[in-house]
Amino acid sequence: MEGRGSAVNTPATSRPVTRRSKSYGRSCVEAPSYFWQTPGHLTVLKIPTSREAAKSQIITNKVDPEHIALLVKNEWKLSYVTPLYRFRHTELKSYSKHLSAFIIAERQQGVAVEVGLEAGFKVTFTSVLGLAETSEDAETVFIQIQSKPVFAAAADAPKVVWRGWLTCVNGDPEYLRALPPDFVSLPLFCTSGPESLTTLVKSWFERAFDCNFGSLALNSTTLNWLAALWTGCHPTCNIRYLKLAWSLPSQPPLDVSYTVNPQDAWELWNSIHPEESTDGRIDIKEVQSFMNGLETHFFRHFKIYLSAGKLVKVSTALGSAQLDGKIKIGNSDYITTLLTMLTECALLKMLT
Amino acid sequence: MSLLTPYSKVPELNTATVLLVENEEELQSKLADAIVQCEKEFNVNVRLARKLPLPVENKKTRPRIDLIVFIINLLSERSLQSAESSLSHLHSDCFLGKVCFLVTDARCGSHTQERMVSVRKLAASHQCPVLCAEHRTADGVNAAAVRILNILKVSAGMSPIATTALYLSSLTRCSVTSDLEDD
Repeated sequence: MEGRGSAVNTPATSRPVTRRSKSYGRSCVEAPSYFWQTPGHLTVLKIPTSREAAKSQIITNKVDPEHIALLVKNEWKLSYVTPLYRFRHTELKSYSKHLSAFIIAERQQGVAVEVGLEAGFKVTFTSVLGLAETSEDAETVFIQIQSKPVFAAAADAPKVVWRGWLTCVNGDPEYLRALPPDFVSLPLFCTSGPESLTTLVKSWFERAFDCNFGSLALNSTTLNWLAALWTGCHPTCNIRYLKLAWSLPSQPPLDVSYTVNPQDAWELWNSIHPEESTDGRIDIKEVQSFMNGLETHFFRHFKIYLSAGKLVKVSTALGSAQLDGKIKIGNSDYITTLLTMLTECALLKMLT
Repeated sequence: MSLLTPYSKVPELNTATVLLVENEEELQSKLADAIVQCEKEFNVNVRLARKLPLPVENKKTRPRIDLIVFIINLLSERSLQSAESSLSHLHSDCFLGKVCFLVTDARCGSHTQERMVSVRKLAASHQCPVLCAEHRTADGVNAAAVRILNILKVSAGMSPIATTALYLSSLTRCSVTSDLEDD
């Protein structure tokens, strides 16, 4: 949707725009709440204006530390998925076999002699228990594709070439309850690995479970929330730095990297949202004034209006998030907050 | 603080004046050219500004302004902030049909959707219409110019049927759905 150059005079009778997903006759530009028409129900998803403060959770109590280690290492590219039809957590082994057969078949298509570097693929589906927060969330599923390079010795362990996971953390309970019974909703899909394998996995899922994938780009509001939430965690967990990257639309485009000392950032955040406030919720206005404070400080020194540009990346020691939909999880303690926010983004993006 | 008032000067014969306020100054000049070149029955003066308040030096020579258009580029937060701060320099009489918001780049990605919502809330609270324009093609600029001319015609009192600016504004003002109001 990047600047298509078409202009039309509005017709004399305007008809409501029909959208691909089943939203209730509203154009996406209009409302911050999205209607999802499920049989018999009309559920509304609102963009929240206030959120819970980030709570540290020693997640290793609930989740296997090995699984956590898998999630924390890489940089993940985000996509959203529509609900999966007849996806059963009990049949993961058969899914692994089907997917590996599918990948091998696709790879061999059209190639007379197998010249590829990877000979065989082994796919593992694992269920990561414990990440789901509410009773309506489905359990996270982790997918790994391993392969042995052709010229490796027989005793070499296969290398993991691709990883991905589907998750739903704190999804909107009304929406999840309104889904028809055979559907499982795991709206957030994170991948790490070659794009060719990602497309193969996606097409297998689309065929097997009748779902749709789409790329999830993060919003600048989401990045603002993450910056504020992560800064708020500073007293309990040293974030070590708050780095913001902006891109300004000048000729040539100017990239600004703004690193803030964590203690200073925390003092600014504390002055806006005092730590002792009994209400654990953070309002969007506080987030906006936090970002405003950072921007005015920058302006005072460099006379550049950061608000004229785009916030492209936010990173702290707890993780980093980029505008084009890539995240990295640094610390497993705050993983729930990050995943909650991303699940919400995925659900909202899916419905527009 | 000198406020821009709509009725403090005498209108000129068969002339309407529109003021385009834009912080980035990219669409202003193209739109001004397009407006001036459109087919119309009356003369149009187009004045450009980056923000309000307007410079005091020109106050005597400035004609009566019939329509003030705030051009907001949704890709930049600064654009919206500058338009909001300019709004405080308008006399409240202006909001009875003499102010209009023109929004560009409304289709570019998801960041603009939330800004669009804030522009709509702003416009709804001031009872003003919001127009969306495509500024990268000549057709888009012409289309926007035609729409502005239609509104200008009514604001300047040139419409043959007795439509006043106040009446038009109550028909075209941006409406906010009840979910937005609940937020």
